[in-house]
Amino acid sequence: MSIAPVRSPESAPPTDAGNSDGRHSALTLFTPIRRRWVWVVRAALWVSKWLPMTQKHILQFKFIHMVRWSVVKRDRLNDAYLFFESDFDGPWQQYIDGFAYVIPRDIRFLWGRGYDFPAPPPAEPLKRWIAKNSMEGGTFYSAYPSASTKMVLGALATRERLESLAAENASLDPEEFKARYDQFLADVQGHL
Amino acid sequence: MIDHNRIGTAYGLTVFTPIVPGHEEAVRDAIECLPRGEDGPFSRLEQVHFARLQIFDQLVHQGPSQRPDRLGTALLVFTASFNGARDAFLDAVAVRMPVEADSWWSHCAGYPGTADRAAFTRYLTRNQVPTHLFSSPYPTATVQDVRDSLALRERVVDFVVAAQHLEPRELQERFREAFADVG
Repeated sequence: MSIAPVRSPESAPPTDAGNSDGRHSALTLFTPIRRRWVWVVRAALWVSKWLPMTQKHILQFKFIHMVRWSVVKRDRLNDAYLFFESDFDGPWQQYIDGFAYVIPRDIRFLWGRGYDFPAPPPAEPLKRWIAKNSMEGGTFYSAYPSASTKMVLGALATRERLESLAAENASLDPEEFKARYDQFLADVQGHL
Repeated sequence: MIDHNRIGTAYGLTVFTPIVPGHEEAVRDAIECLPRGEDGPFSRLEQVHFARLQIFDQLVHQGPSQRPDRLGTALLVFTASFNGARDAFLDAVAVRMPVEADSWWSHCAGYPGTADRAAFTRYLTRNQVPTHLFSSPYPTATVQDVRDSLALRERVVDFVVAAQHLEPRELQERFREAFADVG
C-alpha cells in the first residue's frame, strides 16, 4: 500500500463518471485531523444536530441533497480522519466560491483542524485542496438524477399546497375557488 | 437514544469493509462495471435516495507537517441515504440485489454472503462507521414522495397553461377532474 502522490495544485480535478449520475454528483473527502483537535471536531458535529444555525448554514445552499460527516479512527492510522460526503447538483467547482465567501468560518473550523488547510477566502486555494483530497472512482446512484434540489423542494411544496387546495375545493363555490386558485398560483409560481 | 445516523425519516449509512489483499482490482471491476441508473441494482431498492461504492486504497498525504499514514488494507466504502430502518434496508439489499452485493463484498475479509441474511446484516453493521452529522433539506420525504411530487408538478404546469382563460365554474370543474387523485 502506498501513499498517493500529491496531485499537482494546477491540475484540474478528475472528471469521473463514478462520481456522478445525471445532474447529481458526489464529493467524498477523507482528511486527517490533528490529534489535539479530534475531540473538538467530534463534539462540534455532535452538537450541530441541535443547532438550527448550523443546519441553516449547511442547507442555505440550494444544491445540496444530502451531506454527512463522520470522525473515523482506525487502528493502524496515526491520525483520526474526517469522512465527508455530499450529494449535490452539478460539479462542485462552481459552488466553492459560495462556501469560501459565505461560510468561511464553518469551513475553517472543521477542515482547519487538519494539516496545511488553505483557509478561505479566497476560493482558489480551497478548490485546489478539494481537488487534491477528493476520493475518486467507484460508482454513484441517484434515485432521481434529473431533479435538482430546487426542483425537489419546489415539487414538494407545490404538492403540499395543491393537496390543501384540492381538500378545500368541495366546500367552495366557483368564485371562492377562483380566489383560492389564484392564491395557490401566487404561492407556487416560483416552483413551476 | 439519539441516532445521529438519522435525520427525519432518512438514514445515512456508512460502511468501511477491509478488502482482502490482492482483491482490489476484482472489487474495482465489480463496482465500476455496474449498470447505471434504472438498470443498476440500487434502483431495485425503492427506499434509496443515493448510494455510492468506492475504494480507498491510498490516503492523500497532506505535506511535510503530517506524519505519513498508510492504510493496512484497502477499504471498500459504501454509503447509502435511504428512508426507514437500517436493518430493513440491509435485508432488502440481501434479498433484492444479492448477486451484485456478493460480487463486491465477497472480496472483503470475513464476509459471510447474502445467503445468510442475519449474518450479512451483522457483518455490515459491525463495519458501520457512525455518522456524527447528517443533514438534508428534505429529510422526511421518501423517494416515492419526491418522484410523485415531481410528476405532480408537471401536471400542475400543464393544467395552469390549459386553464388560464377559464371562467370560475369551469375552472373549478376542470381542477376537480384533473386532480381527483390528490388530497
